[in-house]
Amino acid sequence: MKDNQEKLIGYFGFPRRSLLREVRERYGVDLPLIDLDVNSGAPDSGLLPRATCRIIANIVDNAAELGERLAAVVAAVGEDKCDRGRHAAWILEGMGLDVIESRFPEDEFEERPLLWSTGRGPLPGRVDRIMETIIDPSPPADLPESCEPTQGFWGVPPNDFRLLELFPETTHIYGWIRCVEAGRPADLDLECMVDDGVPTVFFHQSFCAKQDLAHNLAERYGGIAVDCHREINDSILAKVEAFIKLS
Amino acid sequence: MLIADCGSTWTKILETGSGEVEIISTRELVRRNELFFEVATGHSGRKRSRVYKNELIALAVGSLSLVQEEDFSIVDVGGRDVKFVRFAGRKVKKLDWNLTCGSSTGATIELLGSYYEVDFTRLSAFGKWINVTCGVFGMEKVLEHVSTGTPPEEAVAMFLHGMVRNVFDFSGRPEHLYLSGGFCENNCFLQTMEKYCSVTPLGRTVPLEGLRDGIR
Repeated sequence: MKDNQEKLIGYFGFPRRSLLREVRERYGVDLPLIDLDVNSGAPDSGLLPRATCRIIANIVDNAAELGERLAAVVAAVGEDKCDRGRHAAWILEGMGLDVIESRFPEDEFEERPLLWSTGRGPLPGRVDRIMETIIDPSPPADLPESCEPTQGFWGVPPNDFRLLELFPETTHIYGWIRCVEAGRPADLDLECMVDDGVPTVFFHQSFCAKQDLAHNLAERYGGIAVDCHREINDSILAKVEAFIKLS
Repeated sequence: MLIADCGSTWTKILETGSGEVEIISTRELVRRNELFFEVATGHSGRKRSRVYKNELIALAVGSLSLVQEEDFSIVDVGGRDVKFVRFAGRKVKKLDWNLTCGSSTGATIELLGSYYEVDFTRLSAFGKWINVTCGVFGMEKVLEHVSTGTPPEEAVAMFLHGMVRNVFDFSGRPEHLYLSGGFCENNCFLQTMEKYCSVTPLGRTVPLEGLRDGIR
């Protein structure tokens, strides 16, 4: 979390790029953008039930902590996010925040190359780089080397990135993260695309509707479905470690 | 050399020289600070061993050393988790690990059994079952049955039946299943499982075989 008192523009999910641009022009192009999905250690706002998606809780808790520092929040509320994203936007609006809703339409889908999803390198860093493309999609100077996949990671960025550290550098990224890199966050076909024969961990946050996809795809592709609520524990790490070593 | 599978409720210790296996409660293990193992697996073994092995890997390797078939499925029903591996051509085809749900685990049934003083060696399989989607809610249904006149043995057998259904589903509903863990010694569990698929109990030391295989 930014620790000074400067104003910020918050966002969550993958808002339309044109809308993000408009909001920045309206509120100040120099204002830093902050991804409210990310766990920043904000205290529990008490605005949501405990048994809810941790990512949505991050959004609400972060926004509650930042309060008036948020000049505006650009909220993904369409099929590219989820119903709970829409509900979070409603809650944030009720807190008096200036919320601008975004629904990512099909005619704005892009065809960006999957450099980080199919590249070689530590998985946490590649997931970070993909999420940064929401704000800045320009091609990176440090292009990753492409590789054949030995492992797959499907899903959304986890609340606790330690899960990603278990994976080999030749892990390909699938699911919603890949959709973000492609610039197609609501493309269900792309989200459910997995390469045959690649042993894949299908990750979802506990209490997230994406568990339906994760379980179905894990059965279909002989992978493993893994969920986690808050922090990763030893048991979850052991399960993923066993899958990676045995598959 | 001592190797051990330190589960949540029971610890299985193998002296590799003599081949002797000692089973003690993990409650006792945590009191015996002198116990330290060359190799260990299980929730309680990490800080008590020179080399720690992943439980699911120990189960998989152990089952391969005990079963000679090309294609088979094994499930280990532990105190607080359930582990499953399916092999095709002796390669891992699918695996899963249900980590923290009491709907399919031994500790839940041990709690119920000790509360109602059920002798599992004399308990028969029962045709009806309780839906055990959640271990706690399932126990609440047992309490409800008993309070409305169902004999405790019958209610516990119905809970066990619900659990068996969960384990069968978790294992992908195979025609034949190898079973590992304490339920290998529970006739009611075995008889109930036979309603769904044939089952071969391999005993409580399959993960130990996996550890032993690793040090040969």
